[in-house]
Amino acid sequence: MTTSVQSFPRTLRLPSLDRAAVWIVLVVLVLLAGLVSDAFFKLNYLTNLVRQAAPVGITAVGVTFVMLLRGVDLSVGAIVSMSAVVCALVMGGKVDNLWLGIAAAIACGSAVGLANGLLIAYGKGSAFILTLGMSIVVYGLVQMGTGGTARGIVSPGFRETLNGRIGGVLPVLVICLLLAVAVGIFLQSRTRFGRNAYLIGANPDAARLAGLPVSRVTVVAYMVSGFFAALGGLALLARTGVSGTNPGAGMEFDVLAAVVLGGTTFSGGRGGVGGTFAGVLVLIIALNLANVAGLPFAAQLAVKGAIIIAASAAYSWIGRRGGGLGRE
Amino acid sequence: MTMPLLQTRALTRRFPGVVALANVDFAADGGEVHAVCGANGAGKSTLMNVLSGTILPSSGSVSVAGQEVSFASPADARAAGVSIVYQEFSSIPELTVADNIYLGREFHGPLHTVDRRAAVRAAGVLLERHGIALDANAMVGSLGVADRQLVELARALSTDARILILDEPTAVLSIAEQEKLFGVIRSLREKGLLVLYISHRLEEIFEIADRVSVMRDGALVATRAKADLTETELVRLMTGREVSAPHPPEPIPAGSRTVLTLSGLATDGSAVELRQGEILGLAGLVGAGRTSIAHRIVGLRPRSGFTAALDGAPLPDDPARVLEAGVVYMTEDRKRDGIFGPLAITSNATAAALKRFSSAGFLRLRRERAAAGEMLRGLRLVAASLDTPIASLSGGNQQKVLFARALMTAPRVLICDEPTRGVDVGAKEEIYGVLRRLAGEGVAIIVISSELNEVLALSHRIAVVRDGRITATMDNAGLDEHSLTVAATGVALRSAQG
Repeated sequence: MTTSVQSFPRTLRLPSLDRAAVWIVLVVLVLLAGLVSDAFFKLNYLTNLVRQAAPVGITAVGVTFVMLLRGVDLSVGAIVSMSAVVCALVMGGKVDNLWLGIAAAIACGSAVGLANGLLIAYGKGSAFILTLGMSIVVYGLVQMGTGGTARGIVSPGFRETLNGRIGGVLPVLVICLLLAVAVGIFLQSRTRFGRNAYLIGANPDAARLAGLPVSRVTVVAYMVSGFFAALGGLALLARTGVSGTNPGAGMEFDVLAAVVLGGTTFSGGRGGVGGTFAGVLVLIIALNLANVAGLPFAAQLAVKGAIIIAASAAYSWIGRRGGGLGRE
Repeated sequence: MTMPLLQTRALTRRFPGVVALANVDFAADGGEVHAVCGANGAGKSTLMNVLSGTILPSSGSVSVAGQEVSFASPADARAAGVSIVYQEFSSIPELTVADNIYLGREFHGPLHTVDRRAAVRAAGVLLERHGIALDANAMVGSLGVADRQLVELARALSTDARILILDEPTAVLSIAEQEKLFGVIRSLREKGLLVLYISHRLEEIFEIADRVSVMRDGALVATRAKADLTETELVRLMTGREVSAPHPPEPIPAGSRTVLTLSGLATDGSAVELRQGEILGLAGLVGAGRTSIAHRIVGLRPRSGFTAALDGAPLPDDPARVLEAGVVYMTEDRKRDGIFGPLAITSNATAAALKRFSSAGFLRLRRERAAAGEMLRGLRLVAASLDTPIASLSGGNQQKVLFARALMTAPRVLICDEPTRGVDVGAKEEIYGVLRRLAGEGVAIIVISSELNEVLALSHRIAVVRDGRITATMDNAGLDEHSLTVAATGVALRSAQG
């Protein structure tokens, strides 16, 4: 470790404990699920499971960037609802309006994200309170727009396509989720925006001193969060149809749980989209196990909460032990 | 010969893959200040951790006053009379001095209530006995750093310590505050205590220590009386090699143009000018406003009262634009606003110059890595890989990465605030080398340092700072630490001394 290295080797880097933790949990949980239920390792069951995770998973990709920056986005549940409602209203059951509906949903989601970002970057308020407030505003707007009843009809072909399976095996929604994750990983590791998010989250003061565009990156991160939440809303609309005026209610907590489980903690600068993806799977499998075990819905909620508490306790424990970093 | 108060025999501590302590036979007596020094990783922290019961030795023994002891915990060590005062403050600002001294060991009245009056009484006696001028009722939050340090010291003494370990106690103190601490240390020595004093700062060791033990690579290489030791000899023992004595800087090439002009900063109304290839030292007491001047130049604070111009054109106000213009500030506090702790060395090195390694917003990772590697090799970074998180590097290597970050922006003016703080002796020389090389390449440099010999070794000219303004500027010829101290402290100190 302390030999003078004249050329720095590209080492095979062992993932540190905080990065590996969620994957270990995932493997354990998958094995456990296989033991509990014979059906678990059936391809159909597995793909269905991941399909269920698509709305939360796609939304969580965007929230990961906000959390890397030490921020938080509690408005994604409301954005998911808005996206689904706006899309169905604009489509109005016409094939011609298919793309218009999708574009309108994405535009609305990104606009709310932009508003979040501007308020947080330039208003210097707490992300927690501001996005909470924004979620109430958006919820109110959606109620005003719909008059409080489920309205709008999706274009023919929208649900059929997204709920289809390619080659009769691989659900389209699963591909959408994987695509979102791939885009997220590309953003975080190959773009200046992604690098800036890690740097600013790791040490905002040092970032300012290094001349990084802290405010701009913050605005973009919340926009990215709103954009992916809109896509999550479309995925939810495809899965459940026009089922109400607030289909994304409470989803922000599942999303936060998945992101934190995945190792992107509230302290910023650590973690990433890969971990978030594993976090989403852990969450969905755990809930399925609870379901298979016959726990009532209320008990499943308690399980979900317990998972979040356990995960955040585990990460702070790892963090205290230095996260695998050596010290003298 | 009498029994030493503290003695270790063949003390060894292994960590996976490293021998942190190798057969250390160490002895120290009551009534002495015994300095323990060595480069980072030499094993002095491990030795102190074993002596204070924080970690167990792998083999070997420790005896206190002839009695073999085995400390399973810091509480065991305290019971045997060994107390340690760490670098970082652990006192609670919202409590009084007395409450802090007896924190966790409160006096109890009937009904198990906390008897604060008894604590104040006991603290008063303790402070009086050790000649520490502190009010037991004062809030710790209202005290200066030096006094807070004394609170930590008093807490260590309150357990009837016979052996007191001080780990880098002056890291945050100014010269005057340091004198106050040294006064207390001397009075402890009078009372027969053994003070083990760990420090990077050689001047200090020569001022306060009676004997010096030097550690290197986990072994104790020498214990000498201060009188038998010169500074050069001590550095040689610590590094295991000859370190050249600081030589005066190369003269600035003739015909160098003025790069930076600071108007309205000097008390006599003249403009302070910095030329290409020139190193200007800013000397002054801690709190004199040296860092504030640097912050104001680069726009981190409003530039009230003076103007800064680069090549004759006014410098922008926005820190990011100042950086772009080529004026770069390197922080005095790496952890606060220097390093991106969990991130890789590469990301840390290129943070300020990411635009160079991206096109249309996409990173050119291979180019980034190659540039970082080349720059860091030039700075002689020691690290296993460029993917290592910067937080796991030693202070000196972290500083080299921060130098790489600054140099990646191709600066015209570099402002280094305490460039060698928390850096061991070997790396210090390397950093001096880097600064001299940069000056040779035409970069204009401002060095801020509390170590006068550092300012003297590096600077062409030295500006003395008091109350956030430059009170004098002089050529570095025929200056020594004494004349510089007089200039830095000025009339204020002399009149205070009577």
